[in-house]
Parts: sequence; structure tokens; C-alpha cells
Amino acid sequence: MAGMSPSEKRLQKELMSLMKEPPPGVSVDAEIAEQNLLLWIIRMEGVSGTLYEGEQFELQFKFSNKYPFDSPEVTFVGNNIPVHPHVYSNGHICLSILTDDWSPALSVQSVCLSIVSMLSSCKEKKRPPDNAFYVKTCNKNPKKTKWWYHDDSV
Amino acid sequence: MKVTIKKWTGVATWKWVANDDNCGICRMAFDGCCPDCKLPGDDCPLVWGQCSHCFHMHCIVKWLQSQPVNQQCPMCRQEWKFNNK
Repeated sequence: MAGMSPSEKRLQKELMSLMKEPPPGVSVDAEIAEQNLLLWIIRMEGVSGTLYEGEQFELQFKFSNKYPFDSPEVTFVGNNIPVHPHVYSNGHICLSILTDDWSPALSVQSVCLSIVSMLSSCKEKKRPPDNAFYVKTCNKNPKKTKWWYHDDSV
Repeated sequence: MKVTIKKWTGVATWKWVANDDNCGICRMAFDGCCPDCKLPGDDCPLVWGQCSHCFHMHCIVKWLQSQPVNQQCPMCRQEWKFNNK
């Protein structure tokens, strides 16, 4: 690990443990991550018994060289963006640990688990009420959005 | 028989006494050092919060410096206060 920056050292450790012991339904594209440790693609399966059973999703994680002091930029990408009240159709996710409530003790794995649980507790598949306006006006980087976190039920 | 010791060399090991093996911020071993340092030991010490969580001093200071308000423990989110005991 010589010659790696502190963020790369931590990401390398996280990548190894995620490849070795991934949480159920979660897998990392190791080839992409090994090419550039600051950009990961994670595949996620909808949990059986939930509204997303049988669906496949792709998450993109972008890290800055301030990681883990700075939160990763996490968005859904690919051709299946989950229909969920906290997920915009452009893939942006309204989840407080990704901005205001980030902590350097969190990790790619814990973020994935939060997203799995956010999807699994959903009662009705629908887009956020302001989806059309947000998607038209937002910055490409979801971390630039001043999110209002108001609904902890899903 | 009488033995006269002419010379001896002492050898010792040390380790930090922490309630965990790894720093929750950098994920490096406590008995190693933070990713910014080269050598473990007194130059890369551990510190405790009043909440009892422990980190490399360099790691927690970096985190606190990045948080102008609401300085919280990364593990339990209680307000961070150094335990100076």
C-alpha cells in the first residue's frame, strides 16, 4: 500500500472486505474499482418479500481525496432507477447520512445497508412529489443539493 | 559455579490499551499508526472521548477540524469532548 494516499488506503481496505464478505444482495464491480479507487459501481438486488424483489440496481460511488472526512457522492445509475419516494428519476437519493449526517466511521458497506433498508421499508412505489422540478433544476452533484430531511418512515 | 553477567540487552514489546483493534476513522490498527504517519508510538498517539470511543489523535483532530459546528463522535454522535483523565 506504499505510495497510496490516506483515502486510497482506506478505500483499498474497504474494497478487500467488500469483495471477501459482501452483505447479502450487494456486490462491487472490482475491476472498475481497482482501475480507479475513487469510482466504484455497486450492484444491488431488491430484497425478496419487498416491493423491489427481483429487480437489479446499480449504485455509483464517487470519492474525493478527503474521504472519509468528506462523504462519498452516491447515486443510482444505469437503466433501472428504483421508483421510491426518496429517489429522484435522475438517480439522486435523499438520505441524510450522505450529507448532513455523514460520519467518517460510516463506510461503503454501511451506506449500502442503509440504502437496502430504505428500499425494503417502502410501502408504495412512487417518485418524490417534486421529482419533475428537481430533476430539471438540480446540480449534477447531489451533494450540492440542500436536502430537507423530513420523512423518516421510509 | 559462579556466573558473572558481563552484558545484557533488554527487549520489550508495547501496545496501546484500547477497547478496539482498529481506528474507526482510518481503519488502520491502533498498534500501527494513522495513514499520515510512518511509525507507530508516541508520535501517533491515541485519544479518548468522554463517550469512551477511541481514535488516532491525528484522525479525530482532522474530523473535528472539518466540522465547524456540531462536533460529534464519529461512532456514537454524542458531542465530542476529549477525556483528559
